[in-house]
Amino acid sequence: MRKVLNKVILFALVFGIIITIFPKANAEELNNDSTENEVLNDAIQNLKFYSSFNYQTLTQDKLNKLTSDFYLPVEYFGVTISYIVDSEYLSVSEETEIILLRQGTSTIEKEVLKVTVTNLPNIIKGEQEFLIQATLTYLDDSITYNYQGFITPVIPDDFFGGAIYTLVRYAKMFLEGAGLTLLISLVGTVLGFILALFLATAKIIAPTPQDKILSKSLKIFFNKLSSIYITVFRGTPMIVQASFFWYGFGLFGNALLCGLFVVSLNTAAYIAEIIRGSVNAIDKGQTEGSLALGLSYSQTFIFVIFPQAIKNSMPAIGNEFVINIKDTAVLSVIGIFELFNQTKKITSLHYRQLEAYAIVALIYLILTYSITSILKVIEKRMGMKPLELTSSN
Amino acid sequence: MNILKINNLHKSYGLEEVLKGINLEVSKGEIISIIGSSGSGKSTLLRCINYLEIPTSGEILFHDENFHQTNKLIQSLRTKVTMVFQSFNLFDNLNVLENLILAPQRVLKINKKDLIQKAYEILDSVGMKDFANKLPKHLSGGQKQRVAIARALMMNPEIILFDEPTSALDPEMVGEVLDVMKSLAKTGITMLIVTHEMSFAKELSDRVIFMNEGVVYEENTPDIIFNNPQLPRTKEFLKRFNRNY
Repeated sequence: MRKVLNKVILFALVFGIIITIFPKANAEELNNDSTENEVLNDAIQNLKFYSSFNYQTLTQDKLNKLTSDFYLPVEYFGVTISYIVDSEYLSVSEETEIILLRQGTSTIEKEVLKVTVTNLPNIIKGEQEFLIQATLTYLDDSITYNYQGFITPVIPDDFFGGAIYTLVRYAKMFLEGAGLTLLISLVGTVLGFILALFLATAKIIAPTPQDKILSKSLKIFFNKLSSIYITVFRGTPMIVQASFFWYGFGLFGNALLCGLFVVSLNTAAYIAEIIRGSVNAIDKGQTEGSLALGLSYSQTFIFVIFPQAIKNSMPAIGNEFVINIKDTAVLSVIGIFELFNQTKKITSLHYRQLEAYAIVALIYLILTYSITSILKVIEKRMGMKPLELTSSN
Repeated sequence: MNILKINNLHKSYGLEEVLKGINLEVSKGEIISIIGSSGSGKSTLLRCINYLEIPTSGEILFHDENFHQTNKLIQSLRTKVTMVFQSFNLFDNLNVLENLILAPQRVLKINKKDLIQKAYEILDSVGMKDFANKLPKHLSGGQKQRVAIARALMMNPEIILFDEPTSALDPEMVGEVLDVMKSLAKTGITMLIVTHEMSFAKELSDRVIFMNEGVVYEENTPDIIFNNPQLPRTKEFLKRFNRNY
């Protein structure tokens, strides 16, 4: 019994190995029309279409971005081929023609059908799929194969056509850029505001005659530090600051984080001055009223002066946000793909600078105008005095 | 007993000497009006008493103690000697109730619940109870000043300094503020009032001080100052004043 079982297992193993090693031989035996099939399959695999430009071979890649006429061969090593082209954008000639293909130093003749691009889809419609059904015949055997491709819109020559094409074709890139620009501006303004609170406080707090030496010198130290910071960051261009921190130190090892850092630091310097101005503009009576009730300087600052100053400076801080939307364009210099840099990238893809920059200008304008309008509504609701948009740094 | 004693107080701004040696004693519960022409140093004197202006020299003794050495001491003095300003100086970011509560809550560390109750009582006494939740910008000048007086009272002060409390008011609002001050005077609190309201000073004061060019030129009972001033400058000032008003 055991011997029988062993034999069965051995037989199964050997048979399995044979099948594994010679699977093709096994399949071939099952097919009667092996040679004809092989020829046809070979034809499908190696059939080439030719572009109207120097009769270059049309690869699948080019077929997927088709914009111009091309040729279909009607014969391939004894295999005859007929075509049905299913597309409203393409038409196939009735008659065949001969084209001369260059092969090395010689040329060979090729009998082909010409496919004409009768019209191109516009950018709104986008890419259009087409199918070429090829029927290959060899001896009395034939096979059908579908070649698939896409007709791609081309950019119109006129400005408006070009602009619409650019906008639709690269909408995603513009949106990504605008999103990043808004993100950097908003986060930069918020972080800048928080940092500005400290800077402004350091700059505003003045030593009083009653202060002890330690607190007096600390106050003077932070006062000077804040002054130097504000002077340096307001006195140098943000494009230089960004390059300094990114190319100089590779800060955070991430251009976006480095950019956010630079925008925050830069904005902080401006907002600190806004807050300081607002604090100075608060009526001195507010301080006196508070001090006269026994509140300390810091309590006066925290509970009376600061809330008023912050409220008064909100319009100017909102304005700083709007300015940041424009000014973050300089971050393109450290390779952040915000709105401006995305536009540069787009122009390198389609070489239509006029259209691309006109569009990006419009996008910036829409962003700044709409945000300014929103801020104005908020300011009105909160009873603040609206501030006009001022020029940037 | 003297609650406040000022000895040889001097105050200069640069080369300009505003107070040229003031000596003054104030007893508990006394109501003193300080009159005099503009620039005579009335307001500066008042502001020196709670150290809103730091005196150049001289001493200010509150209960025979000097408070000027540290910020902490000055703060503790200010809780006992509060001030009512010409321009009210209510906190613009806080409503009436919050205006009243802020200082006692933060400085005297009294719990808020008790303070709210007390604030309503005091607001009621100045006729401003219905305005507790209003912002200062929605009040008239007279209402603001009554709130400011209520705010000063919240600290339970021993002395209230009034720095021209009715000068910034429209004439029809002066009365309501003076009425509050009159009823306040009856509670026995010590008041120092810099004022141009002569009839008010005459009616209410225990003592009137006439200041001229940085010194206490003449001080006496209101009856003598207004009806029979002893010194030529006082006579001249009152004569001119009566003509103008």
